[in-house]
Amino acid sequence: MNSLPLEGHSILFVGGKGGVGKSTTAASLAVHLADSGEQILLVSTDPAHSLGDLFGTSIGDRKREIIPGLHALEIDPGQEVERYLARVKKSMRHYVQPAMYSEIERQIELTRHSPGSEEAALMDRVTTLMEEGTTSHDRIIFDTAPTGHTLRLLALPEIMAAWTTGLLKSRDRSASLGKAVDRLRGREKASGDELAWFDDVKEKVTDERTQKIQEVLLERRRRFSRARRLLLDPETTAFILVLIPEKLPILESEKTLKVLKQHKVPVAGMVVNRTLPNNQALGEFLESRRSQEAEYLQQIEKAFPKLPRVQIPLLSRDVQGINALREVAQHLLIDR
Amino acid sequence: MIHKPREKRSLVDWRERLTRGGELLHEFYRGRHRGALARERRQEDDLFMLLVFSEMMGIENPSSYYTLELLPLLYEGFHEWHIRMGMDHSPLEHFRCC
Repeated sequence: MNSLPLEGHSILFVGGKGGVGKSTTAASLAVHLADSGEQILLVSTDPAHSLGDLFGTSIGDRKREIIPGLHALEIDPGQEVERYLARVKKSMRHYVQPAMYSEIERQIELTRHSPGSEEAALMDRVTTLMEEGTTSHDRIIFDTAPTGHTLRLLALPEIMAAWTTGLLKSRDRSASLGKAVDRLRGREKASGDELAWFDDVKEKVTDERTQKIQEVLLERRRRFSRARRLLLDPETTAFILVLIPEKLPILESEKTLKVLKQHKVPVAGMVVNRTLPNNQALGEFLESRRSQEAEYLQQIEKAFPKLPRVQIPLLSRDVQGINALREVAQHLLIDR
Repeated sequence: MIHKPREKRSLVDWRERLTRGGELLHEFYRGRHRGALARERRQEDDLFMLLVFSEMMGIENPSSYYTLELLPLLYEGFHEWHIRMGMDHSPLEHFRCC
């Protein structure tokens, strides 16, 4: 029970309460796997990125090589929103009369600042990366934002797939009713209607739009469903929960685990970070902390009896740079 | 106005009238079915519009970001829609179409 079983998992999520060492864990995992010859893509979804600081370099919204075999990127939802809006504007020029541009553009501008946009854009990017990243790399590791945010991100594909399915059903009903109307009108045209030609032209335009709407919705649903399938596949995805032996992180981890189970996201194991070193005399103050820690470790044992678990001890200096990450990785025993 | 002699409006004329009457009757029933189906379709489309534009109406919609790309495709139907919904002007302050 003291190693992380990550055989063949190509999508890893590293999550936990704020400040417990998610980024450090994700980064040292990434460095370790890259060192052992895998192609790794490390992605930060936390709006307050810390991967760059951890590696002592600036990473951005585009993939950057950190060491051989390891690429990293920090998702910038703002940029993702911009790219999407630019795409919508382009399609507007194809379908809408120029007189209406300014009104639609106003609507597009509003979306830029509406509250759900960045979250939606983030999910768009994450689902795309889940598909692309697993073909270009052996594994993709997500360094996630604090728990609540991430749980929502993991639940979103399910909600959205249901939503697009509903919209598609509505379109289907409309289309079959339209066909029935056309059949009745078809006979009328045969009986000689001089205006039928105009109807035909108008219908062709409407048909093109109807088909395009259908396509857009189908593509959305395809993406959401695929993300969801990958996410729930225990052979593909593994969630790694990071915590420190203190009361609040333990309680939050229990809640997180429950929600992950609810959404059927496979959890591979736990990393208990910053435990006090065993083989050193610590002085009275820290000894008293150590006895409290022992209680919490027992509590963790009891709360998560079935979950594989590894411990990373508190180090003499904080973790910064590749070599420090390699040192941390020695404690992350991984079955690969 | 020149009136035709009464006798000449006889058989041929009546036959024509009956045929025409039959056609009208036929059209009347067919039209009613077509009308009902077309109405139902319009209602379905209206519902679709409402689902897509609900965020603009103040109803929280988790997918409004994703359906924004449908806006260029639906915009031209938007005017007819809000008129049908009983609103003479666009219900959305910032979404002026008339």
